[in-house]
Amino acid sequence: MNPAPDRFPPRLPESVRDAVADAIQGGSWIKVRRALSAFEQCAAEDQGPEIAVNILASFGIEGIGPALQMGLRCIPSRPVLRFGPLNTIEQELLNRDSFVYTAPASATVILWRADELLADHIHPGAPAAGSPDRQKTAQIESRIRKAVESHLEFSPAPLFVGTLPLPGSTGAPPLGSRQRPALARAIAELNAAIFGLGSLSSRVHILDANWWAAQEGRTHYDLQMDLLARQPFTVAAAVSFGFFLARNLRPLIVPRRKVLVVDLDNTLWGGVLGEDGVSQLKLGQDSPGRVFLQIQRELRDLKDQGVLLVLASKNDELSAREAFERLPEMVLHWDDFACRKINFEPKYLNLRAAAEQLGLGLDSFAFLDDSDFEREQMRTFNPEVLVINDRGHALHLLSSLLQTDAFDAHRITDEDLKRHREYELLPLRNKPAAENLEEFLSSLELQVVLEPVQPDNIDRIVQMLGKTNQFNLTTRRHGIGDLRRLASSPGSVSVALRMADRFGDQGIVGVLLAVPGGEPASLTVDSFLLSCRALGRGAEDVLWAELVARAAAAGVPRIFCQYVATPKNALVANLFDRFGLKRTKESPGATDYVLDPVRPIAFPSWIAVDRKDL
Amino acid sequence: MNESDPVRDLLVEFFQLPPATPASELAQSSVAQWDSLAMVQLIAELQSVFGVVFELDEIERLTSYAEIRAALARRGAVSL
Repeated sequence: MNPAPDRFPPRLPESVRDAVADAIQGGSWIKVRRALSAFEQCAAEDQGPEIAVNILASFGIEGIGPALQMGLRCIPSRPVLRFGPLNTIEQELLNRDSFVYTAPASATVILWRADELLADHIHPGAPAAGSPDRQKTAQIESRIRKAVESHLEFSPAPLFVGTLPLPGSTGAPPLGSRQRPALARAIAELNAAIFGLGSLSSRVHILDANWWAAQEGRTHYDLQMDLLARQPFTVAAAVSFGFFLARNLRPLIVPRRKVLVVDLDNTLWGGVLGEDGVSQLKLGQDSPGRVFLQIQRELRDLKDQGVLLVLASKNDELSAREAFERLPEMVLHWDDFACRKINFEPKYLNLRAAAEQLGLGLDSFAFLDDSDFEREQMRTFNPEVLVINDRGHALHLLSSLLQTDAFDAHRITDEDLKRHREYELLPLRNKPAAENLEEFLSSLELQVVLEPVQPDNIDRIVQMLGKTNQFNLTTRRHGIGDLRRLASSPGSVSVALRMADRFGDQGIVGVLLAVPGGEPASLTVDSFLLSCRALGRGAEDVLWAELVARAAAAGVPRIFCQYVATPKNALVANLFDRFGLKRTKESPGATDYVLDPVRPIAFPSWIAVDRKDL
Repeated sequence: MNESDPVRDLLVEFFQLPPATPASELAQSSVAQWDSLAMVQLIAELQSVFGVVFELDEIERLTSYAEIRAALARRGAVSL
């Protein structure tokens, strides 16, 4: 139940996060107190709103007060906890003058245990005495209901009713299952009845303590502490219960995120559509496609709970749509997305456009994407957007979805469910100043190594020539023999580009091959391509600047280029225009260009360039 | 001059007392925060830090530094 220390609480200073992480790991009350002291040192505006909670339990919950404080502090909030005397839930709730009703409260929490509520069931005596009958369970149900109705009558505050965990103190199962069938039945019936109370009023919520105890397992129970003070938690369990309580109360003060933006490649399916093609994408009942199937199911559940789904993918829209139609195991359909931004614009601009289109602020948005680059760019330019995952592999994407509190709510309103509809497309606006983008790119610490086509990289280059569709100017699918011949012909220039940034090494992601031709002493660009995962960093500018520099040094008078259109490479239709080349011929499906004269140009300032064997 | 004493240090931090508080003043009778709720947490803390488990009847008597130290020493968790 505990949040991972590196994820929680993200909005608080590092000193607090460290102290909380230590308390989570430590199983020590002193560490919990240290964490609480760290919160006291925070600026008032970082501490969150006050939340006053009445807590009543049939066991000694006050003994774990500091752990509950810590959990609630992490929302963040400033909790004021008021505990009722031990095992007086009904007395307090039925009494109009109770402390529960005399001071304003954000919530009341009531927690029974089977140990007190069903004592006769736990120790039923000799079989001859007969097991407790169902009538007794019905009486308890009715008592619980009366207490809840009384709270509804006397207080406007929401009430959280705990379900009953199996008692921690019962004995071994072999005989227990014979001796205590009434206990198992009574707990199941009472829990069902407690869930039923949720329909009494929108102010009644269920705190599924039974689920929590099952998650924690046997280790949450401390027999010694229970005997000593009727306080049944180990320290670690107390900390966990604090976070569980906080998660349940959090929607009272933190609105849910209304929109989840997801990527396609390696997020909704395994593989890269633009490179692998639909038939090679991984999605299905068996691994490695199963994790993506599960991600899609979770996303559909969120949609059914009123969260708007948005697609943001650097892909060709027609191909993406085709994949949705052709992949047999797709759980999500094209129309499940309230809006789709499938293009090669930066994603942060696409999210701003989507926010405008949906009429929502970016602070309603959450983002799920496997790419370190895209997530970092989102955090930099749209800091209001909550990035759900902090690593890119599929298992982490799925567990981030399962664990996030971003979409927590106590109720799903009709308005939530109606929100999901198609919106009109609006043009992109608010392009950021270019210097901001450069600043961001600089922060990535991009490094490239340029090297010729050579034995240790030729397989990868052939693979790229074979499957790169989007950033590919000529789409020539050379085999290894042709490539070797072209790259080694006298006067040719072959440059392969390896890229790394502060997230790691991405290997060879770009290739430029120019061969003598067009006219004597000149060069013609044969192939120029970049992997999808290297887009938007300026790698193409490096390749181009390198070719021009080397051509100029060799006294090449002109460089001839061609853009050959395919259904998938519209992304680069104007690349040579951007580089300042002159169009010489336009025919259907192809545009010819020339660079004349050939003079060295600047390399992108944000990329460190290294050369190997060139 | 004081050698580090893990029992004293734990009690001082647990009850958030001035660092120089002498061991002789560490008793339920002189520390206001040492109520029954704190007592239960203190036992959990001592057991976790020193890796021991106290008997239930013994816990009742652990109301001062001296008693706690003696109980820990009986288990070999600290030297007397």
